[in-house]
Amino acid sequence: MTDDFHASATATFGGSTSRLSLAIVVGLIGLGAGAVVPTWLASDFVLRLGSEGLLLGLLALSVAFLMNQAGLVALGVASIYGGAGYLFAIGMSDWGLTPTAALCVAFLILLVYATMLGALIVRTKPLAFMMLTLAAGEMISHAVLLEGLRDYTGGADGLVVRTNGAVLGIDAARFADPAQFWSLAWGVSVLIGLALWAIARSRLGAVLRAIRENEERMRFSGFNTFLPRLIGYVLVNIVAAIAGFLHVLNAGFVSPESLGLFVSTNTLVAALIGGISGSLGPILGGLIFSFAQDEFGARGLTQLLTGVAIVVFIVVFPRGVVGGLSGLSKRLGWRREAS
Amino acid sequence: MLTIEKLSVSYGSVRALTDVDLEIRGDGLLHGIIGPNGAGKSTLLDAICGRRRPTSGRVRYCGEDITRHSVSWRRRQGMARSFQRTSIFQDLTVHEQLQLVAQHLGDGRVGDVIEVMDLGGYLDQKAGRIAYGVQRRVDVALALIGRPRLLLMDEPGAGLSATETLRLFEHVRDLVRERRIAAVVVEHDVEAVFACCGMVTVLDLGRHLATGTPEAIRADHRVVAAYLGTAA
Ligand SMILES: Nc1ncnc2c1ncn2[C@@H]1O[C@H](COP(=O)(O)OP(=O)(O)OP(=O)(O)O)[C@@H](O)[C@H]1O
Ligand SMILES: [Mg+2]
Repeated sequence: MTDDFHASATATFGGSTSRLSLAIVVGLIGLGAGAVVPTWLASDFVLRLGSEGLLLGLLALSVAFLMNQAGLVALGVASIYGGAGYLFAIGMSDWGLTPTAALCVAFLILLVYATMLGALIVRTKPLAFMMLTLAAGEMISHAVLLEGLRDYTGGADGLVVRTNGAVLGIDAARFADPAQFWSLAWGVSVLIGLALWAIARSRLGAVLRAIRENEERMRFSGFNTFLPRLIGYVLVNIVAAIAGFLHVLNAGFVSPESLGLFVSTNTLVAALIGGISGSLGPILGGLIFSFAQDEFGARGLTQLLTGVAIVVFIVVFPRGVVGGLSGLSKRLGWRREAS
Repeated sequence: MLTIEKLSVSYGSVRALTDVDLEIRGDGLLHGIIGPNGAGKSTLLDAICGRRRPTSGRVRYCGEDITRHSVSWRRRQGMARSFQRTSIFQDLTVHEQLQLVAQHLGDGRVGDVIEVMDLGGYLDQKAGRIAYGVQRRVDVALALIGRPRLLLMDEPGAGLSATETLRLFEHVRDLVRERRIAAVVVEHDVEAVFACCGMVTVLDLGRHLATGTPEAIRADHRVVAAYLGTAA
């Protein structure tokens, strides 16, 4: 049955189109099942952990995208992730905006910031790029602690964010409900995963990978090598901002920790655990990371066990869990293309 | 088509080119550039195509002063180059990279380039996996896409045997003649240059030594003293 469908689809649309439609079908089923099934089976506590994992997975997804397509490691996603929460909170409490307006204004500010920063740094070499994203991120995370900004940012205590009414048409109370939030976070993750997957296969993806490989030859082939990288960088930050908005709506507070280097490095670890070469890996990595952290925390040895686990993971799965499993399945000949 | 006026290029305190004047006509003839190691041949191409800003002097292309335009702008205006050190996309197949560039430059006739560079048998192989000589041809092929009006080639024969070099030169010579475009070729293999180029320029220690037909250059006693020696 599936074979027939696949064969006729191949005949009608050609290989790549049929794979695309197959991916869309799989995506839709995954979207539906993943959004509701866990809410029947899992406790609120597990759903909360899972949602945290998904948000981390979203960040990992964006970072992995840039790593994979452009060969650039962004270490500053936390400043966008946390910054989204702060700007949203400040927009409502200090500027008197409605939740939806605050969200839009915060998003625009982040977009402008990311574009300007990106314009300055995407031309640099990978190592310099990484250090610059790190420096910019640290700058922001220290800025919120400034005494002069305390009235806005709440200093080290952070801010409690009370959202009254609806955000983009969704009642704010629903974000706080673990089951409903899981479904939302899941839906967003799947959609963003599919979007980045499609972009990686688009012309932009091809151009980015070619620039990663030989930037000079791309210029000598008439390409603008700056704009595609800037677009890639801004995309990453848009995803980080979305994750940040989801986080603040769910948690109801923002703290300086959400801007910290820890968020950025955890993101990187999640991406490496899951595997950076697709959309599935980073999301899975985020989930694994979140549940593992909880397990390790219960034993009171979070840092130590995390360190050990990272080493073990990277030794056993150098290309991440998804990369490792797909490599294994290929070797065992489970994939039809191989036969 | 291309006029170089009093062009000087320095790398820090090293003067690689000093007051070079040169005129390249777009009349379907290959223009060869020869000279000893370090004479400034690659530097001259770099300055023409925008890879390196000249310290002084000007580059005019089709009458326009383009000294300050970017590399990619020049490429889109029909100025293409190949590299002395092979510069291709190792991770892409031969076809993928030619197609990528062709789409960007709106060239619907990649087939012509594939045929001229004789790459038909390698299209689906990753460029990093094919023989060095074929990689050199991919490097030149990338420059040929988009029907360039001025072709700059830096030692296309580097790493090829004398016969391979001659064949490559003959291919390029025919192409340039057929399309009536301009081409500047830097080459160590003097025999290939004399066999295929209509004009030859000799550089020595960053200075322009002589320009003329192959026969005139061969007979020029300054060139013989500086470069060709008794071998020619
Ligand atoms: N990037 C650089 N930095 C400093 N000096 C350089 C650089 N590139 C070239 N040079 C110097 O400039 C001079 C001209 O070099 P160029 O590469 O143009 O010579 P060439 O004629 O192409 O030589 P070859 O036949 O070896 O390719 C040489 O003295 C070289 O050492
Ligand atoms: Mg050279």
